[in-house]
This record gives sequence, structure tokens and C-alpha cells, in this order.
Amino acid sequence: MQGKIFAGVDIGSLTTKSVILSDGAVLGTSKIQTGIYPEKSGEEALKKAMEITRCQAEFPDYTVATGYGRISSPYADETVTEITCHAKGAFFLHPEVRTVIDMGGQDCKVIRVDKSGNVTDFIMNDKCAAGTGRFLEVIASVFKVDLDSLGSMSMQAKETVPISSTCTVFAESEVISLLARGEKSENILRGIHHAIAQRITGMSIRVGIEDAILFSGGVANNVGMKNALEESFQKPIIVPSFDPQIIGALGAARVAENRYNS
Amino acid sequence: MTLSTLQKIHEALERRPEQIDEEKRNGKIVVGWVGYFIPEEIIYALGMIPIRLGKGGNEHLVELGARYISSQNCAFIRSCMGMFVENTDPYLQRTDLLAFDNACMQVFRLGEVSEYISKKKVMFLGIPRKLFSQSSRTYFLEEMNHFTRKLEEVQGHTLDSDKLTKSIELFQEIRRLTLDLYNSLITRDVPISWNEVNAVVHSGYYLDKKTYAILLHELIEEINSFSSLPSNCKKNVRIIISGSPIAPGDTKLNDIITQIHGTIVGDNLWSGRNMSFNMQMKSPSIAGIADAYLNRIIHHSLPCFDNELDNRVDNLIQTVRETQAQGVIYHTIRYCDSATLKTTGLKECLKNEGIPLLEIHTEYSNSDLEAIRTRVEAFFEMIMATEEMGVLA
Repeated sequence: MQGKIFAGVDIGSLTTKSVILSDGAVLGTSKIQTGIYPEKSGEEALKKAMEITRCQAEFPDYTVATGYGRISSPYADETVTEITCHAKGAFFLHPEVRTVIDMGGQDCKVIRVDKSGNVTDFIMNDKCAAGTGRFLEVIASVFKVDLDSLGSMSMQAKETVPISSTCTVFAESEVISLLARGEKSENILRGIHHAIAQRITGMSIRVGIEDAILFSGGVANNVGMKNALEESFQKPIIVPSFDPQIIGALGAARVAENRYNS
Repeated sequence: MTLSTLQKIHEALERRPEQIDEEKRNGKIVVGWVGYFIPEEIIYALGMIPIRLGKGGNEHLVELGARYISSQNCAFIRSCMGMFVENTDPYLQRTDLLAFDNACMQVFRLGEVSEYISKKKVMFLGIPRKLFSQSSRTYFLEEMNHFTRKLEEVQGHTLDSDKLTKSIELFQEIRRLTLDLYNSLITRDVPISWNEVNAVVHSGYYLDKKTYAILLHELIEEINSFSSLPSNCKKNVRIIISGSPIAPGDTKLNDIITQIHGTIVGDNLWSGRNMSFNMQMKSPSIAGIADAYLNRIIHHSLPCFDNELDNRVDNLIQTVRETQAQGVIYHTIRYCDSATLKTTGLKECLKNEGIPLLEIHTEYSNSDLEAIRTRVEAFFEMIMATEEMGVLA
């Protein structure tokens, strides 16, 4: 060991992620719950990722922080938005990617990427929580199941129960009404995933969609969401084998590497 | 750095309410107005005091206003309604008469409801939907004459043509100086920011017009007296702001842009530069005023009155070129549908010209502060990455 060490830290609303890169290879990753102090969460995630690498260096040579907690990251050499970082991370894994759909804890974004991995346009949801991890958490609590089970449950549906509202509060009420009416849980869940997919499709019209499409963020681990997006876009969606929740941190580490080298 | 004239403007503004009280004791009538076509020249020539009203950036006023006007009016209009309801604004308190035009139907609605809230006399100026046809011109001239007659009735004497000529000259001078002030922003290392220019323009809503013209003169002279300043502004991203108004009190977006090292080099806002832009007064008469107002390039928060003759996009592209801006931030206030609905088409037009556009859709609460910061920061990163690629290529 080894070349220079570069770190990316993504302090999201629900989880904080870190990736350590050296010579273009991932040496270590970490993922922890974001606490009430984003600065401490970022430091902890970085420390954990560094421990996994077992490298001799105590600190990375260059660190980039991203995510909503980036504004409290004194350990970082630079901060870059999660929009740029998700684009860079996705492009690093799949250079053919031209559109990134990122669904995180409190926001969702559609990012257009050029053949160099640079952002050419993007759109984010505004105040509404629809299409975010938080929305799915609320729905999971209504069904009294784990968040991780939502996607697989929806895949067992025989039909789709239409959900007319993607407002988190109204959707929760609607789901409760549908359950009371005797609709099957899996059919309702499929309807929920489709309603979110429709919303993302609507958002994406503002920036356009071009193949290949990569799905990142914590929600990308939800197989039901991937399926609903593919049906809505009528296109295949790539969910990388590399943990999609860590792609922002990976992109941040790539930016760190590029900044240091330039 | 604070320019000494900015301090003088600030002091003049502090004295202004008392000054208005004194003028009112001497029989002057204060006309508060909201709109885009209200002829200040005529109000001033009749010996009245025109005061442009409007407030933004205050969520409490929005909530207050929404009790009296539908919540699907834009945040600015609800905020103005809240201002009428609260009635603590020193200029509104001193207003004797209110005037509104109906170019934006939400402004018209504000006028209708404010009549009941404020118990003040309210006047309306009708605006044609098709601005450029002959029948529209005839209609608007009739409206302008009718508006003048109503003002004359309140004032108790008729409009004097010499006074009108002098008033037009004064307002045209203010417009010319305002444009000079905005033009100073194009130069790099200028000792004044857009935020300061915007505040100066807003102070012009309230100050005595002759005093304001003198202060503008002094300010421009002071700016011109500075040689190039050492600064790090050269790396900042140069931005034009367009879209919905950024009314007095609303600094959310401007502050974010400045905090993340953006430089606003111009705007075409209803609340800013647009009011002074492209005002060609061919004759010192009511007809001349009516034509000049109709021929102006209208601001982006008004509807598309005439699709074929709408020159706003071309004008925006020209402004970007003239100011060497690297992108446009299109600010849309929630339920300012006329601005919001144009975003996609405008973005496409600008894209074809190689000009990136970011829409910021917001209102006056601070709940989206960090989300806006992320969008603007990402927009700047995108612009810088594109420029770096251009340099490398």
C-alpha cells in the first residue's frame, strides 16, 4: 500500500455514507444513521471507512463532503452538491449513463449527464416528500412492515390499486381507507410504487430522459420501485451492484481524486 | 465597502415618512399603487405623491393575507394583502388613494379586496389583453384619460401640460439613471452589488422623485470615481435573475446566490430593472405616455398577451449577452402561474442559445432555504464544469 487516499462523505437526511478511493479503486465504505449532529455523523462515517481500508494514513489526502450536511463538515477540504456527486458516482460505475434518478431520504432528483460525466441539467422535488425514502417510511409504518419489505411485497401484487394522492399525509389517509375497504396490501403497495413512479416521470419531462438510466439512492434498493419506474418510463433501469445508496459518497471521492490531481 | 451615497439614500428613506406627513399637512395627496401600467408621471404632474406599494419576504403577511384572499394567489399578492390587513407599513398608512391595474389579474383582485379592507378610495386602470392592436391603443388611451379625470376630481384641478412635460422629463431621467446604475453591474470589480442596486431601486418607490434623481446622480458619479478594485469576483458565476418579482423585504434568493459566490449582473424583474427599460416617450402627453407604457417589453410574471409579438425571450437573451452572464436563474413565486408556466418553453429557447436556466420555485418561508442553496450551488457547479470543458477543448 499505496497511492494517495481520497474520501467522499455523503451526509444525507437519514444515513451518512463514506467511500475511500485510491488509484481509482474503492478501498472501503461505511454507512451509518445520521444523528442530530451532521458534523459528528460525517466524522464517524469517515473514520469507519478509513478503518476498513487498514491503510496507514490517519487522514485522507483530500476529502469532499456532500449531502445536506455538507455545510457542517470541517474535516472536508471541499464541499460539492449531491447532484454533481451522484452524477460523478454513477458515471464512474457506468460510463454509458446519461440519466440518473436519485431517490434519497428527503428528496428525489433527475440528473442529466453528458459523455464526460458532467451534469447538463437536473430537477429536484421541492417541498413535497412524495417519492422519497421518508414517504416510503410512512407507508411502511401504515402496513406495520419493514421498509425493506415494501418492494418485494408490491411485486406479489396481482393487480394495481390506483392511488390518487402522492402527498404523504393524504396518501397515508388513502391507504388506510383502502385497507378498510378490504383491498389487498400488496395491490395497494404496487399502486403506491406506481404513483411515485408517475410523479418521477412527470418531473423528468422538465429535463428529458436519455438512455442509459441509472437508479441511485437508498430507494434504489427497493425492487418494487425499480419495476414501477421501468414500467412508467418503458425503459430498462440500471441498479448498480455497488450499493446504490453509496453512489453520492463514491462521486464525492471521485471529485476529491480529480481535484487533488488537478 | 459601503458607498457614502448608499448611506445618504438610507438616511433619506428614514426621514421620508415624516417628510410625507409634512407634505400632507400642506395639502398633498398620496397615491399608493400596485401594477405595471400606473402612470406615475400623471400622478406627479397633478401635484400628488406617487408611492409604489408592495412587500415580500414575510411569511406572516402571507398567512394574514390568505385569510382575505384565496391561498391560490401568489405569495407576493397574499403578502401585499397581509400588508393591507396589518396596516403597519408607514407608506400604506400615509396613502390617501389606491390605484391598481389589471395586467395581472391577481393584482386586480388585490385591489378589489383592499377596497373593503382599507376603506380607502380605489381606482383601477384597465389594460388591453392584446397590447399592440389599434383598438387596444384606443382602449388604453381612453382608460388613461379616464384615470386622469378621476385623479383630477380627487385633486381638484386639471392636468397642466407644462407640469406634465416636466414630470415626464423627471421620470425619464430617473429611468435613464436607473439603467446606468444597472449597467455599472456589468463591469467586473464594481464597488456596488446587485443587492444594493435592488435596494436603491426599491427606495425609489418611496422617495421624493427629485431627491431620488439627485441621489441616483451622486451614486453613479461615486461608482464611476472608483478605479478597478482588487477583488476575487472574477471567479464568481455571473447570473441574470428573471421571473416573478423580488419585492422589498424578500432577500432569500439573492442572499443565497451571493453566499455561494454568485454575482448577479442584472435582472428583468417587474420589481427591478424592467420598470425603467425600453420606455420611449414620443410626445409629452397622455397619449405619449399611453403608447410608451404599451410599447414596453413586459415583465415575465405577466401572461403572454400576444404570442406572436411577445419579445420577452429575445430581450432576455440580449440581456444575457450584454451582461456576459453565464446563466439565468428564473425565480417563480408559488402560484405566480404566468411566470411558472413559461419556464419549460423559456428554458428550451435559452438552451438553444447555449444559456443554462435554473428555475427556483419558492415562496417566503425559510423551509426550502437549504434545498434552494443546493440547487443554486449545483447550477453553479454545472456552469463551471461546462466552462472548464470549453477551456480544455
